[in-house]
Amino acid sequence: MIQAIGRRAVTAVEAVGQVGHFFQDMVRALPDVRTWVGPAIVQMRRVGVDSLPVALFIAAFTGVVLALQASYTFTGAVPLYFVGTLVGKTMMLELGPVLAGLALAGRVGASMAAELGTMKVTEQVDALETLAYDPYAYLVVPRVIAGTLMFPIIVAFAMATGIVTGWLTSLALLDLSTNDFLKGLKLFYVFKDIWFGLFKSATFGFTITLVGCIVGLDTRGGAQGVGRATTHAVVYSAILILVLDAFWAVVLL
Amino acid sequence: MKRENEFAVGIVVIAALALVVVGALWLSGAHLGKAEATYTARFRTVGGLGVGSPVVLRGVRVGRIEAIRLAPGNWVEADLKIYAGVTIPEKPAVIAASASLFGEWAATLTSSEPPPADPNIRQDLAAAQAAGGGKWPGATLPDIGQLTAQASRIATDIGTVAARVQTAFDSQAVSDLRRSIRDFGLIADRLVQVTNEQADVIGNVGSNLRRGSEVLADAAGDLHATLGRVDSATNQGQLATILNNTAAVSTDLRTASQDLRSLMGAANRNQESLVRVLVAADTVLSRIANRSGTLGLLVADSTLYRESALTMIQLRQLLSDIQANPRKYFTFSVF
Repeated sequence: MIQAIGRRAVTAVEAVGQVGHFFQDMVRALPDVRTWVGPAIVQMRRVGVDSLPVALFIAAFTGVVLALQASYTFTGAVPLYFVGTLVGKTMMLELGPVLAGLALAGRVGASMAAELGTMKVTEQVDALETLAYDPYAYLVVPRVIAGTLMFPIIVAFAMATGIVTGWLTSLALLDLSTNDFLKGLKLFYVFKDIWFGLFKSATFGFTITLVGCIVGLDTRGGAQGVGRATTHAVVYSAILILVLDAFWAVVLL
Repeated sequence: MKRENEFAVGIVVIAALALVVVGALWLSGAHLGKAEATYTARFRTVGGLGVGSPVVLRGVRVGRIEAIRLAPGNWVEADLKIYAGVTIPEKPAVIAASASLFGEWAATLTSSEPPPADPNIRQDLAAAQAAGGGKWPGATLPDIGQLTAQASRIATDIGTVAARVQTAFDSQAVSDLRRSIRDFGLIADRLVQVTNEQADVIGNVGSNLRRGSEVLADAAGDLHATLGRVDSATNQGQLATILNNTAAVSTDLRTASQDLRSLMGAANRNQESLVRVLVAADTVLSRIANRSGTLGLLVADSTLYRESALTMIQLRQLLSDIQANPRKYFTFSVF
């Protein structure tokens, strides 16, 4: 047992070291703009634009559920216009970034891990190095930059969608007027609500893409390894999103 | 394909930026393109007022809190951004207060003339005004937390009292209370009995009173008749005459009294003479009793009395004779 504990400790330290090396190589590749800017646009399209439907779909139903649950909770105790407050605050501060992050961790993180893992096990990465391409500049940096920049944009749309569906739900199902909903929405609004959510989502995007790339480029063992890497990427991303969420809540709120 | 990617990404980025900017401005209530005036109010404390809280004038939102900062002299200064076109009261004052039970605060723009009825608010406004600097005076009402804390203290006190009452009302106390209630029931029964008896007595008294009142009514009728008669008897000046006669009698009595008083004075003055007379009389009577003196001898000696009586008889005969025959005894001649 002692041997197992020691082995796990060494593995954990090695993992930290690998991440450090990975991070160092990625930073070293940043000046090679001409290499990563073209792929970055492609990744921004794939990570950002193509992921919008999923994020908006989740946000739309989240707004509906929030409005209904808020009215269910407030009935008889709290004025109903606080539905607007709860929907707005929750979508901007928490559910918009976190749910979009979790959804995109599955879609983007898994996709990146599988893609890079396949390239790794089929030695395409080695081929790139042979052709004097820096795999970090060509594969990793575009993905991380795309994730970091596009996640806040996706989350901004998700926030707006969730609030709009919450408002429509309030109008249609809760007998709440638009004025009342907007009154609640604006009641405790501060600009920090928005930038906190967007900043948090940027860190989520950075984390998801970084994890996807690390796990993908560390893939071994053929198709089975690719599948395992995909699973790991999703699990690690989801865990890190929740950890980061708590971390930023402690640090920034 | 590359241009298509760039276009799609550009569209999404621009749309997201526009969404964030417009949404943030709309939610914060900013009035773009409209002139807004900023004023500063001074408070001791701003309570739950925060940046973005509404500024209301007579219940209508006319602006928002732009900034809040600590100021020298233990003051807090709040910048109020007031929308264009809003007429500010002549002597403005700002009262920060909870707008609802759920933590919403608002700055109410009001006039310091006339001063508010609340003495604390009036005092705060006066202190903020006295600090000068051209800033609006501000005051803060207690928030719901302070009120609920006070209510909580009261509830705690009530709980303590209730606990003490519970301690005081142990089983023995309850037993005593039950016995007291039973005794009280007996007392109540007796009280009912006494009350019934007293009711009978009072009934009798009432009957007597009724009869007495009837008698009184009859007497009153008689008195009324008597007074009527008196009135008829005195309506032609008889009473005045009687009174005048009485006055005259009174005057006479007063005069008689004065005379009697004079007489008594004279009697007092003659008292000495009377005493002397009485002494003299006593002396005379003593001598008579002692058979001394003429009168004593007369009293003591019947012979002398008889002689005297005989002399008197003879004198009377002589007088009769003189009257009958004056010339026998008297002769008158002129020459």
